[in-house]
Amino acid sequence: MNQQKNPATDNASHLHKGVLSGIRVLDFTWKTVGPWAPRLLTHYGAEVIHVERVNGWDDHRYHAQPSIVTDTPDANQVQGGKKFYADPYFNTLHNGKLAISLNPRTPEGLKLVERLITKCDAVVENFSAEVFSNWGLTWERIYELNAKIVYMSSSGFGHTGEWKGYRSFGPTAAAQSGLSLASGLPGQPPAGWGYSYLDVMGGWMGGLALIQGLLKAKKTGQGMYIDYSVTEGAMSMVGTYMLDFQVNGRRTRRPDFPPGNRALFPSLAPHNTYRCAGHDRVGQYWWVFIACETQVQFEALCALMGRPGLALDPQFATNEARVKHEDELDAIIDRWTCARRRYDIMQKCQAAGIIAAVVQSAEDRVEYDPQLHHREIFPIINHPELGDFPYEGYPVKMSRTPAFVHGRAPTLAEHNQYVYGELLGMDAAEIAGLRERGVI
Amino acid sequence: MSGIYEGLTVVELADRRNQWAGKLLSDGGARVIQIEPVNGSPGRWCGPFVKDKVDPDNCLDYWWNNTGKQSVALDIERKPAQDLLRKLLTRADIFLESTAPGALANLGLDYGAVAGNRALIYASLTDFGQDGPWRDLQMNDAAHLALGGQMSSTGYSDATVTPIGGQGHQAWHMGCAFVLHGITVALFDRMTSGEGQYIDVSIHDACAIGTEGAVPQWMYYGETMYRQTGMHAAPRRLPPLELPTADGMYVMAINQAFNKRSWEALLDWMDEKGVTGELRDPKYQEESVRTAEYRQGTIIRDAIRRLIATSNGEECFHRAQASGISWAVIRAAEENYEIPHYTQRDYWRNVEHPQLGRAIPYPRGPFACDELLLEPRGRAPHLGEHTQQVLAHDLGLTAEEIAALTAAGVIK
Repeated sequence: MNQQKNPATDNASHLHKGVLSGIRVLDFTWKTVGPWAPRLLTHYGAEVIHVERVNGWDDHRYHAQPSIVTDTPDANQVQGGKKFYADPYFNTLHNGKLAISLNPRTPEGLKLVERLITKCDAVVENFSAEVFSNWGLTWERIYELNAKIVYMSSSGFGHTGEWKGYRSFGPTAAAQSGLSLASGLPGQPPAGWGYSYLDVMGGWMGGLALIQGLLKAKKTGQGMYIDYSVTEGAMSMVGTYMLDFQVNGRRTRRPDFPPGNRALFPSLAPHNTYRCAGHDRVGQYWWVFIACETQVQFEALCALMGRPGLALDPQFATNEARVKHEDELDAIIDRWTCARRRYDIMQKCQAAGIIAAVVQSAEDRVEYDPQLHHREIFPIINHPELGDFPYEGYPVKMSRTPAFVHGRAPTLAEHNQYVYGELLGMDAAEIAGLRERGVI
Repeated sequence: MSGIYEGLTVVELADRRNQWAGKLLSDGGARVIQIEPVNGSPGRWCGPFVKDKVDPDNCLDYWWNNTGKQSVALDIERKPAQDLLRKLLTRADIFLESTAPGALANLGLDYGAVAGNRALIYASLTDFGQDGPWRDLQMNDAAHLALGGQMSSTGYSDATVTPIGGQGHQAWHMGCAFVLHGITVALFDRMTSGEGQYIDVSIHDACAIGTEGAVPQWMYYGETMYRQTGMHAAPRRLPPLELPTADGMYVMAINQAFNKRSWEALLDWMDEKGVTGELRDPKYQEESVRTAEYRQGTIIRDAIRRLIATSNGEECFHRAQASGISWAVIRAAEENYEIPHYTQRDYWRNVEHPQLGRAIPYPRGPFACDELLLEPRGRAPHLGEHTQQVLAHDLGLTAEEIAALTAAGVIK
């Protein structure tokens, strides 16, 4: 292949100093959607201080398998004599952050939060709407403490309106927004987004809001409040369906929607997943996705299947005819794929210019995907306890201000000394006193 | 009116992959000039169309993804058009493109050729990025959901049924989210350095890190996820959480702990429906007992299933939420128009559509924040609506020059 010089990856700098070095974020997020947003800033060198509440530890820290869980979350997880710093997903979500412990429900703890707010450029939380204000941390109070700060609340439904007290997880927001209904086979229950989409994309959009807020604050010197509703974010990912309803009166709640893996706008055939030989480690069949968007691609597929005559058959000769006879066409393709290997099908189709993609599992992507390997999407980073270990990378390659991946999440309260000692200038006796009184 | 991207000029090469990113730049106040082929962006031809009549100016997917943009129709395969585009880029802040890697180099429009504008942020959002062995493969949105891992975690609990990729171009959206991260970070840097840069985002890379627990579960435990109907994929089969209601809807009855208040409210509701079974047994007053039974047993789950089966969807949602239980009802996108909550939050923005003779309410933007102000700034452009204006006012072409280019089919 003709490999062009890539200006974004030719820059070899991997210093752990980035374009956001000097930005400090106070991070009260927990569970899944919330923590993604501030984590994304760590890839550019921002200092993100994750606050874990005394007696309210982030459940991702210890919702691991029994084999590695200790009942006391203040002990680090242990597996085979090696320390885990958290459960796997915590290690991913909080990678590159600092961690402190703090009890904001005590007057002394709240005072510490307020002092930290004066030292930070952003504060982020994803509690229920009433939590921060119950602590006394309304936007007015936060602004009074630090007029330059960006405060983002990330919640299911936002902090105003009659549903502001309603609680939500990623799948809740996906269900309410219309996203879940837009996934599945016709006539079957909604398939939803099993990975789950909004726990991921909801966090990425929250990360975008934070970067935007920091950019605006840098321009104007003024802080701001961002009321991020994950459900509203999701509704802006299904806007076409909203307009189809407004203009044509067509609803997504209708018998032929969603269409499985077939294509509706525009209608194209073939456009589906097809079963291949074999199955994964837990017995789920293997599949390949194939689509033809042009007549040339369809003719190439017919030739590849050893059925060149199909392209002349009136049932399949045009896209319009193929859409009308999609069941028959899919059955023909299925018969061809089901006795073949999935990567072999993908490779042969792609070599003939046909859209084809293996339905890849996590194992496939981490271990075998040559493209992700080339792009270092799962970099191997040395971990003090685990040794060399793969991590999830960050998919933006920038020529001047490269992003990087740190390598692990902090242990519980690992950075109390730095934050309370250096940032807030407290001496050892003061810190010991806080610990004795259960504030940290 | 202000906005996070106010004052910026964006040149966007029309493509279905990047148009949502361009829309959010426009919604944030940037002037987005979309360069389209003379027969229109591919985004104009996919449908759905107004009254299902194929018309590049009436494609609703295009309307949604191109709010507030300007349209300049140029055939960039032709040299005079390449010169015009290069000239436009000398004064642009951001260039957003999704062409096949190497294609723009052949037209003299790669980063090196236009980086004379030191402040230019040149962002490429492509299927696989600018390098690597799969760089030139043929893809679409569903193919990305397959290869990137989303399908592998989505579908039905029956292991013989196909995995599912959801509708709505969500793989492209994931790529757009990251290209916007890159652009916004580059703007942050440019404020102090004065320098632009080159940004390379691959949709496949974005999808590959976007499968939540699946990758860590493999890396740490060597475990494979089961697809489960309407639920999180998980390394173990779990009881169903997507449950049918009495009125033909589905409730997402997500796993959670029931504190005293939630539990009492749930039991009262179950009593009303006559589905409580043995749950009034005092042993369930102990939170640890009911939590353990709910996690491992079937008694509470069966009662919840019966409760939802005898209640309506709206009733389930509001009654659960009022009791501190995070259940949701699975709605259709269009049903959100009827919900007062979003109106109270000023979520809808009327966008005038003279060709319909009325305004259409569009979703505002993902965040409520006056200082960022992301909202549609007007309808999507007609094909070539701003060609004359941009050529005459931005590039200083005379009426004769424009007429000659039009006659030659270079512009529309």
